[in-house]
Amino acid sequence: MSSFLLQTILNGILAGCIYSLFAMGLTLIYGVLNFVNFAHGELIMWGAYFLYFLMEKPLSLPLSFALLPALFLTVLIGLGSDRLIFKPLRKANRLTLLITSLGLSFLLRNGAQLFWGAEIRTYGLEIKKGMRFLGVSITLNQVAIIVVSVLCIFLLYLFFYKSRMGKSMRAISDDLELARVMGIPSDRTIQWTWVIASSLAGLGGILLALDTNLHPGMGLINLVKAFAATLLGGVGNLWGALFGGMIIGLAENISIWILSPGYKDAIAFGIMVVMLLFRSSVVFSSKE
Amino acid sequence: MRKIIYPLIFALLAFPFPYSYAQETYKIGAAFALSGSIAVYGEGFKKAVDLAVEEINASGGIKGRKIEIIYEDNKSTPKDCVTAVRKLITVDKVPVIFGPAASSNFMAAAPVAQENKVVMISAEGAAPGLTKAGEYIFRVFPSDVLQGKGISDLCLQLNYKEVPVMYVNNDWGMGLKNVFVENFKKAGGHVMDEIPYDEGKTDYRTELIRAIKGNPKAVVNLTYIKEGAVMFKQAYEMNIKVQWICGSAAKSPKLVELAGKSVEGIIGTYPVFSQETKEYKAFRAAWKKKYGDEKIPIFAEYNYDMVYLTAKAIEKGGYTSEGIRRALFEVAKGYRGVTGDKTFDQDRGVGSEYGVWTIKDGQIVDYKKKID
Amino acid sequence: MDLFLHLSVMSLIYIIFALSLNLEIGYTGLFNFGHVAFFGIGAYTSALLTLHHFPFEISLLVALFLSGISGFLLSLPSLRLRGDFFGIATLGFGEIIRMVFQNEVWLTKGPMGLPGIPKPKLLSVRFATLPQYLLLTLGFAILTFLILRGIIRSPFGRVLKGIREDEIAAEALGKNVYRFRIKSFVVGSIFAGLAGVLWGHYTTFISPNDFTIIETVLVLLIVVLGGKGTEWGPILGAILLIFFQESLRFLRLPPEYSRYLAPLQQMIFGALLILMMLFRPEGLIKERREHGCLS
Repeated sequence: MSSFLLQTILNGILAGCIYSLFAMGLTLIYGVLNFVNFAHGELIMWGAYFLYFLMEKPLSLPLSFALLPALFLTVLIGLGSDRLIFKPLRKANRLTLLITSLGLSFLLRNGAQLFWGAEIRTYGLEIKKGMRFLGVSITLNQVAIIVVSVLCIFLLYLFFYKSRMGKSMRAISDDLELARVMGIPSDRTIQWTWVIASSLAGLGGILLALDTNLHPGMGLINLVKAFAATLLGGVGNLWGALFGGMIIGLAENISIWILSPGYKDAIAFGIMVVMLLFRSSVVFSSKE
Repeated sequence: MRKIIYPLIFALLAFPFPYSYAQETYKIGAAFALSGSIAVYGEGFKKAVDLAVEEINASGGIKGRKIEIIYEDNKSTPKDCVTAVRKLITVDKVPVIFGPAASSNFMAAAPVAQENKVVMISAEGAAPGLTKAGEYIFRVFPSDVLQGKGISDLCLQLNYKEVPVMYVNNDWGMGLKNVFVENFKKAGGHVMDEIPYDEGKTDYRTELIRAIKGNPKAVVNLTYIKEGAVMFKQAYEMNIKVQWICGSAAKSPKLVELAGKSVEGIIGTYPVFSQETKEYKAFRAAWKKKYGDEKIPIFAEYNYDMVYLTAKAIEKGGYTSEGIRRALFEVAKGYRGVTGDKTFDQDRGVGSEYGVWTIKDGQIVDYKKKID
Repeated sequence: MDLFLHLSVMSLIYIIFALSLNLEIGYTGLFNFGHVAFFGIGAYTSALLTLHHFPFEISLLVALFLSGISGFLLSLPSLRLRGDFFGIATLGFGEIIRMVFQNEVWLTKGPMGLPGIPKPKLLSVRFATLPQYLLLTLGFAILTFLILRGIIRSPFGRVLKGIREDEIAAEALGKNVYRFRIKSFVVGSIFAGLAGVLWGHYTTFISPNDFTIIETVLVLLIVVLGGKGTEWGPILGAILLIFFQESLRFLRLPPEYSRYLAPLQQMIFGALLILMMLFRPEGLIKERREHGCLS
């Protein structure tokens, strides 16, 4: 019986790794640019679909060659959306930005559906039996997810603590009040933010799709989970996002022992709503 | 001069005139899943219907007039089925419609057809209550009341007395699950768990873990093709070793294509009709001639029979809903279609026998182990 | 002709839906992204009751009541949130409600939906045919418009606008901002429920997939496009967008192309939302600002 619990926990950790990547990207955008990018979910989804596109005919690149181009294309979308849409709205209020990003997410999501249809797609890799390890099953893909996530986190750590750009980004996102006093961050800082956030999203999307296949709606549901993780860890707090992602991944998978599997996605929503209602000063209305 | 006149006349005749063809062809509506999650079924249906229509038209149509199918895409969702059927009724004004696949989709649209007194026929819906919307609703596919018992019998014959049952969370899955559970319990079996799951998900691992919680030797999985493909693949990756027992909706070459070796050895029941009858052989030959292969999609034979029955009903009862409705009973009585006897019972459904299939070396074959 | 009647009925339903959202977004400054939840609650309640042979009058009243109560319960905790977080909380709520519709199969028949919803019979008049239903919807739409207009033009309405513009000033003047917001939210929810009832009885089939973020984006676009905070803005927006959307549905396309139609249409909506925010956030009908404000 306990091997099932172990398997569930493993699934939770896997999901958690992926959610952490998403949440870190989202929280970075929020921290530096001070708005919730509703279209972040679509960066996740397009990352996965770009890889699919590159691996299919006519290009038929093998996975290892297609990975970086796919991420590159995702970053292009992120930078593009900033340049064309969010930059002109730099001074707009948060609600306008939220609505705009909602519209953008719609545009991107249906764009994918236009090209690839609404059905589930897979990367077409060979089906392999998972390896047995201490009573749980884990596939090579899943090992890759954990390894890649850890690698990413390590690289991010280096960037944010050892490089100047990283330190200034951290400064901005750590202290929103100070950041506001200091004014809107420089263009370069913003671009770097988008590059990193988009890469995290795209990479996470690819890892997710390697594990569970692609469909156009995969962005939205993961956005909610990313957002819940962000709130759990404290908006703008990178390590908080990591922590939050893990919690959500584990909570989702373990809760199925009690709840109906249909409500699994509701867990993240529920946590998000609870966090919003009971969390601290960042979210309360201005008069507080 | 001739060089101009003949091509001109030819062009005029070939060019589709804008006014309705009502006096030219008999129009029949078809609300099929041509896009969306169950398009894999809808495409197969269309091929079967097209084959039948081609044959009927080639042999003179109905009293000299050809039949024409107006296809509406129902996008695989119940809501769009309602819209598609409504459109066929109000805009195209057809008296009879070939209804959508999937019991839930069909049942969503049935009240619309019934309300407007338009005949709607299902070539695939298996849920027991499929035709309850009214006397204009028919099905040429047998109800799952028998299949549920068939699955239960199969489990017991294979000596699986305790199983969990997983099923698609819709009318078909629930209907079949209920009949299965009822029969299984009555025969002394024990249902370990009932696990519904949503269609169209990319990840069913949590449901799978729930299913094997009690270490069963076999799991009954009432699934469709796409969901089944995802589930069996993930089960394979997770090293889950159980005997999978399915219903008829998974019996498809497409499942093998999508899921590869992970579906080797799964067993299922299906409403069986002999492949040795002359009707079937003729059908198979005609299919090969038109489509060049023998990969007959799932439920194709039922659609084929449906077209022929409808054509006969129009011939006998006239091109009106009421006429078709009445005539269907008469023409179906004793009619031997590709799928066997198509006599309608009082619920406007048909009966059937049930056989067992399995997948061996990537092919769907009859399950040979002795079952009395 | 039938097509025109259909378009009119749908427009009127969405006019009611949009006017209710406009009260919240346009006048009170509350960005409710979960408005579709109340639409759904109204639709499901009335559908379930009438399917169990309750008379329409009762079903309607219960549906309105439940929509209002849900609005009240949701607003209590969430109205303390700052603008954009309120938006996300309401979005979350909307999705949770949809999941309840989807998973509580014993109540709502889950993904299978509720087919065969009967046409309403109000005060012993049966509104079964298309022209009759149009009359019914028109009546309710006019009623909604007049009631909401009355609210907006009343002192209560002026306070709402004051709160939207400057919350702190309103508080300073002694107005309990929180209470006003709740009232506005509840009224909005009730009328959203009304729209839902009319919609359910019109399409005769509802399922959880009818109440997703897509509907939220649609009604948001209607309000934003038409002009939030104006009396006629939502009406204009509803007519434009609904005519566009529903006409597309009835377009006769060969099956190979029909699968592109839906995503293309949604892309247009998304792009429209972006463009509106970039170039004309006030909407087509600009709000008349009284006394030349600084904003």
